Amino acid sequence: MQILRQTNLEALDRARNIGADAVLELLEKKGLEGRGGAAYSTARKWKRCKNAPADERFVVCNADEGEPGTFKDKFIMKYNAETMIEGMLICAHVIGAKKCYIYLRGEYEYLRKRLMQQIDDVVARSKMDVSIEIVRGAGAYVCGERTALVQSIMGFRGNPQYSPPNITECGLWGKPTVVNNVETLTCAAQAVLFDDWNANLRLFSVSGNVSNPGVYELPLGVKMSTIIDIARPKRKLKALSFGCFGGIMPVDPNMEVTPETINMEECQHGAFSAILIDETNNVVDIALSIAKFYAYESCGKCTPCREGTIRILDYLKRVKSGEAEKKELETLRELALHVQATSLCGLGQSSGNHVITSLLHFPEDYEHYINKGKAGAGAPAETAKLAQAEGKALENAATPKKARKAAKKE
Amino acid sequence: MPDAMKDAKKKKSDKPLMNILWEVQERHGYISEHMLKQISLEQDIPIARLYGVVKFYSMFRTEPQGKHVIEICGSPSCVLNNGVELAEFLKNEIGVKMGGTSKDGLFSLYKTSCIGCCDEAPAMLVDHKAYTKLTEERIREIIARLKKQG
Repeated sequence: MQILRQTNLEALDRARNIGADAVLELLEKKGLEGRGGAAYSTARKWKRCKNAPADERFVVCNADEGEPGTFKDKFIMKYNAETMIEGMLICAHVIGAKKCYIYLRGEYEYLRKRLMQQIDDVVARSKMDVSIEIVRGAGAYVCGERTALVQSIMGFRGNPQYSPPNITECGLWGKPTVVNNVETLTCAAQAVLFDDWNANLRLFSVSGNVSNPGVYELPLGVKMSTIIDIARPKRKLKALSFGCFGGIMPVDPNMEVTPETINMEECQHGAFSAILIDETNNVVDIALSIAKFYAYESCGKCTPCREGTIRILDYLKRVKSGEAEKKELETLRELALHVQATSLCGLGQSSGNHVITSLLHFPEDYEHYINKGKAGAGAPAETAKLAQAEGKALENAATPKKARKAAKKE
Repeated sequence: MPDAMKDAKKKKSDKPLMNILWEVQERHGYISEHMLKQISLEQDIPIARLYGVVKFYSMFRTEPQGKHVIEICGSPSCVLNNGVELAEFLKNEIGVKMGGTSKDGLFSLYKTSCIGCCDEAPAMLVDHKAYTKLTEERIREIIARLKKQG
């Protein structure tokens, strides 16, 4: 695996020899992009930070890998943390930072002790005047968002901030800050040293209803059938969810997996975490568990996400219990679209994806529950009336008190 | 620059607040009102802001906890691998509802978002240690061992 290749401080030596500008040029030429999900050019990010006027700059390694179904950063920190630390040192050298942070999520506490030893060891051997400190997260998914992460390191609630100002110009304590993912920094060190470094290889976290889950390194454009062969599903596969935020799409063995083909299915690749779902599952159940996740993890700063994620969860619960009507699905879809369009940060903007994509690709799963509800509760006409009345009651009940008061006043 | 950010500049210690809060929680089991007041004085942070920070992060506790804190994962990969049923089983096994502490003060149980063990689902964290590939039998064993430890 390319990601496990050790650089043994030779990458840092090379970076020091060729100078900061040449490193940026090299990374640009090799085409290194952020591996956290946004795929922003790493060289451009570093350059923006380097060129921002300031007396102090910071490097932050984002090890707050909270996306369900993603565990590649844990894999890297377990087996090749030295290279990641070296990547941080290279970044510090390029932008001129003296202080670096690793934001390690609270759930990975068991990795911390060893990581601290490795930091001490690598920094001592590098003889660089740079200190690296681990900041311990405490179970907030939203802190993986870079502006929220910066807030958390400064000791605030992890609420995302408006951008601009971009954190590459105004980040930690108002100073230019580079925030990069674990995988990106590891790749940066390897891209600097190895001439045969391949930008096309990605880490896929494969999990779900399969007998061979794990982290696999595969090139972009790999056939879906190859992933299925490796993962060895227990039964026939039905759907694939890219983490929680990517959306749920059907499994087509002939599909070539690239960001473009995934986009064509209205989904997003994110960090290539593939949760494979087999035919024994109803997609609504998975959408429900994802909706629960978003309702729980929403930070509450902006209204569309705070209220919308709860309303989406309500709707899905109604669908599952058989209370919902078919025409309500359109309302659900609209709600998801609104939450997506009007939320402040990436969490809110993606919190409707699972609903929109599952409604698009698997309407029969929704109908299954709706028909089941109707069949279970007596004559169809009566049930429809009942469901309508219930729907109204629920709509009234779920309207936030304040909004209702405001409406009355008007 | 917002006022709150100026506050952050004034702080007395260089240590990130998150790490300070973790240390307090590890020493006392939870972050009490008394400790909040003390941190507030030491770090020169208004107590209201400090309380807001503590309450934001789900792993910080403001109530006394059981001796062992169990967090069971509820994310899709675990759900797909029988996670919901196992969470129910665990609940009955130690006789606690989600978010509660058992009467003997031995266990606190929480449901958590993904803990990054999807390749070995279903999984749970007990006192920050990951237990994976859970089955009813395995849960029974783990709980028995923890009870024996006291």
